[in-house]
Amino acid sequence: MHAAQIWLVRAIELHSPVATLMRTHWAWPIAESLHFIGLCLLVGCIGSFDLRLLGVARRVPIAAMHRLVPFGILGFAINVSSGLMFLLTEPDQYIYNPSFHFKVLALGIAGVNAGLFYLTSYRQVFGASPSLDAPRRAKVIALLSLTAWMTVIICGRMLTFYRPGDCVGELGLLLTCTPK
Amino acid sequence: MSIDPFLVWLESTPLSEWVVGSPSLLAFPGILALHAIGMGLAAGLAAVLDLRILGVARGVPLIEFRRFRPVLWGGFWLNAVSGVLLLIGYPTKALTNPVFYLKLLLIAVAMVLFVRIDRLIRTGDASTPAAARSLRRLAITSLVCWSGAITAGRLLAYTYHRLRA
Repeated sequence: MHAAQIWLVRAIELHSPVATLMRTHWAWPIAESLHFIGLCLLVGCIGSFDLRLLGVARRVPIAAMHRLVPFGILGFAINVSSGLMFLLTEPDQYIYNPSFHFKVLALGIAGVNAGLFYLTSYRQVFGASPSLDAPRRAKVIALLSLTAWMTVIICGRMLTFYRPGDCVGELGLLLTCTPK
Repeated sequence: MSIDPFLVWLESTPLSEWVVGSPSLLAFPGILALHAIGMGLAAGLAAVLDLRILGVARGVPLIEFRRFRPVLWGGFWLNAVSGVLLLIGYPTKALTNPVFYLKLLLIAVAMVLFVRIDRLIRTGDASTPAAARSLRRLAITSLVCWSGAITAGRLLAYTYHRLRA
């Protein structure tokens, strides 16, 4: 894994026209603001859908509530775009950052979990009769979704406090320091 | 009259020193993380209500959105508390920066708009065309205020003149 990380950082550093743009005066703060606005859109839309599955606002048809999900995906798209701009500008600050590793892990869990929802519960929940109460499995998925997204936010906010320093001493499975 | 003696005193309190100086992850980093989560809940759910008013997810009865109100207020109070803690940590940084007051103003306006929208929905006055129009205006203004508040908050890290008294 170490070699792959080092290769990735070098590859990004070699060809990153995004970095030139991001190093202009206000580009980074503007991208950060968009990243936070996207976060609100994602948490608002996906979070309220999860809460509905868990039993809040039970009289609302789940299918009607699901109309919000595309806007949550829009928020996610804003955040993938702005997030990639950070990554493509300062790759070593993310690729070697343990908080980033956990953030990517939580993102992966959120993604697989969303996939599981559409594979296992989508049809039941959207059935002919507008179900008032989601099945147990869908509730577990909703709870996992909320937990995963909260973890993504926490890890994202913690990035600054786990900035990788120079490598000294023992190394783990993943590099969490900048190699010389 | 200068505010400086107050800032010096506040920065010397044990709570301020803990927020800024403690190596614990529960101190400054934890408070920041809670502030981001509260933002997502408050601004996020307010945005969802605004989107619904503007025509998204029409199948959801507006009145039923009131069920999410406690979560929105929970996010708001989480951020009021975490925000005050951050302010106690770095009072000079915030209070000497005009952008901080702009952020507070935008949040205040956004919350007043939320309460007004909620009242229109609760009293059932939202059904006439004139009321629906004014509801849409309130929703658009709310989205603008929240976006502005979030941007102003983010810019606090870049626009301050003094870090400590």
